[in-house]
Amino acid sequence: MLKVDRKTPYFFLLPGFGMMILLVFVPLLMGISFSFQNITQRNAYEKTFRVTELLADGGVAIKTEVQAATVKFVGLENYTKVFASNDFWQVFGQTLIWTFTNVFFHFVLGLGLALILNQQLRLKGMWRALLLIPWAVPSYITAFSWRWLFNGDYGFFNHLLKQVGLNGVSWLSDPFWSMFAVCVTNIWLGVPFMMITLLGGLQGIPDELYEASQIDGATPWQQFWSVTLPMLKPVAMVTVLLGIVWTFNMFNIIYLVTQDNPHTDILATFSFKAFFVRGEYGLACAYAVVILIILSLFSLLYLKVNKDNQVST
Amino acid sequence: MIAMKDLRLSLKWLFIFSFILLLVSCMGRNSKATSANTEVVRRTTDPVTVDFWHTFNDEEAGTLKEALASFQKEFPYITVKLQQVPFSDALNKYKTVAQAGNAPDIFRAEIAWTTELASMGYLMSLDAFLDQKAQADFVPQALAYSRYKGHIWGIPQVTDCLALFYNKRLTGPKPPATLEELITQGQKLTTPDGKQYAFFYRGDPYWFTPFVWAFGGDLIDNQSLQVKIAEEPAVKALNFLIDLRKKYKIVPESVDFANDYENMQIGFKNGQYAMIINGPWSTADLLDGPEFKNPDNLGIARIPQGPGGWGSPVGGHNYVVAASTQKLWASWEVIHYLSRPEIQARFALKNNLLPTRKSTYDLPAVKANRIIQSFKHVLDAANTRPVIPQSGAVFIDLKPAYQAALLGEKTPETALKEVEAAWKELLSAE
Repeated sequence: MLKVDRKTPYFFLLPGFGMMILLVFVPLLMGISFSFQNITQRNAYEKTFRVTELLADGGVAIKTEVQAATVKFVGLENYTKVFASNDFWQVFGQTLIWTFTNVFFHFVLGLGLALILNQQLRLKGMWRALLLIPWAVPSYITAFSWRWLFNGDYGFFNHLLKQVGLNGVSWLSDPFWSMFAVCVTNIWLGVPFMMITLLGGLQGIPDELYEASQIDGATPWQQFWSVTLPMLKPVAMVTVLLGIVWTFNMFNIIYLVTQDNPHTDILATFSFKAFFVRGEYGLACAYAVVILIILSLFSLLYLKVNKDNQVST
Repeated sequence: MIAMKDLRLSLKWLFIFSFILLLVSCMGRNSKATSANTEVVRRTTDPVTVDFWHTFNDEEAGTLKEALASFQKEFPYITVKLQQVPFSDALNKYKTVAQAGNAPDIFRAEIAWTTELASMGYLMSLDAFLDQKAQADFVPQALAYSRYKGHIWGIPQVTDCLALFYNKRLTGPKPPATLEELITQGQKLTTPDGKQYAFFYRGDPYWFTPFVWAFGGDLIDNQSLQVKIAEEPAVKALNFLIDLRKKYKIVPESVDFANDYENMQIGFKNGQYAMIINGPWSTADLLDGPEFKNPDNLGIARIPQGPGGWGSPVGGHNYVVAASTQKLWASWEVIHYLSRPEIQARFALKNNLLPTRKSTYDLPAVKANRIIQSFKHVLDAANTRPVIPQSGAVFIDLKPAYQAALLGEKTPETALKEVEAAWKELLSAE
């Protein structure tokens, strides 16, 4: 029998764990602690005021005056501000719309394409490669291309509308259409991932099940509902939950397509603006903690689903 | 049973976690008393490298590089390392590096940023280098934005304001002088097929300010610092802009706030818009356009006046030096050189940037430049804003409200009332 060495594995884990602490847990704890302080860009650091004066001998005297930081612990004040503001609830609503619209279409379109690709097709490899292109293109390039297509004066869509005699649409500024525009962009971007994962799931379903159901006289429709979907459920649940977590926090597409537009703000972009544009560090961290809590709930759900899957298989 | 154990385990971790949290949050920085010290730096000719962040556009950066090449001949021991930073990100980037103590020695800061950065302790005062006589040679409106708490924090590099650009082929030699004429003349210049519009205005609130002043209003009073943005003239100004789109239809119906700067330039260069509002920095780009192959076709005038007179925001940029710099003298040599009248004249003649020194305007070549002189005329009637650290930040709150009113989501009254509330809070903050 092998002798179990209880210590060595921990030594191997140590560097990784150290990095985790440094890169994940320390910033996380700092962020959480900021959310209980009145910290802003104006009081977070000690200020050094440097005033210069010309001396008779041609030298320059630099007088430095240091003013200490004035950060205070303010309890839950940042959190009450977050929940009391109308902006938060509007942005929260937008985040839900954004997340669920995207994930819904990712799933439906991804599943549709996966089902098609799972058939006997000529040039299957080529179709699959073509459908993967949106995923292979760097997302900022996708974002800029779509932003150009949606351009109010010179974009492709408004050009088409004007050709048929309609008025152009304010794609990137109008409250409804700007959300529409970012969703379309992100759906285009996210379908391939869903498609490829679901295709993997489909290919894992044993052919015997289809053969058996065929002998029992099942129609393709019945096969889809009674064989494909139940067998796909473990994979589908996991990808959908992952999709929700990613989309909830998706920052780049919104930021690059509509830029600073209150109608497409989601919690992640809103928190970014509070931190970097307004310099409200404490408030921004409170937002981040709220996001963290919501996403933790989703992650717990994800872990539970994952565990159930392992039990069932 | 297992569930119970899990629960107990996670409770244990929860306790440990909250304890650490409590510890971290209570650690709060202990406030030391303010301290002060003095050091003396002398001019040397040891070789140094000076870091310089700028926000010039590509054409202007070309002029800057030429100027620095001639600087090198005179100051062979100073090497300047240039970095171009996009204007829209520059302030945040600078704050981030300044907090970490790594700010570039020289930075080209927008005038409203200068006071903000100075109030945060990120800048070195330049009092030692600019005596009364040197200060007197700068255009007073421009230098005003470098002065904060009795010290000078930057050297005005360029001054600017917004003007009415008009395409003479379409408008004829005389642009509208009043807002009424803008409408009457504008209706003649707009074609029903949507191919040509008389005017185009942006969704950026900086472009809204001329109209506030034209209607006799103000953003924030320069002396009393009272917030004026929700008063009747500003509301009228906003209604006027909305009417241009909805009632008189002399500007395009659809808007695109994310792209409207580029779209405005493209449309004006191609004769789609007969008039736009923009500043001197944009003339080089405009003169590249098909409509302005003959530069004389580009007209520059004051923005039409309203009941309250003319309106246009004085803007511009300063060269500032970082508080953390170890190369004060070398940094000063660089910006001092770049501020020489003959160098300012190069930027003026090549890039149509308005100089900040009176002696530059006296140079014959500058006097003969039509664009500079037209802008000088606009600048003479332009409006200054209060020199406070919040001068730049006010636009953060004005932007969404202004855009919501343009989109018809909020009435101008409600939108501007919200801005008023936000600004009062902003001004009351230290």
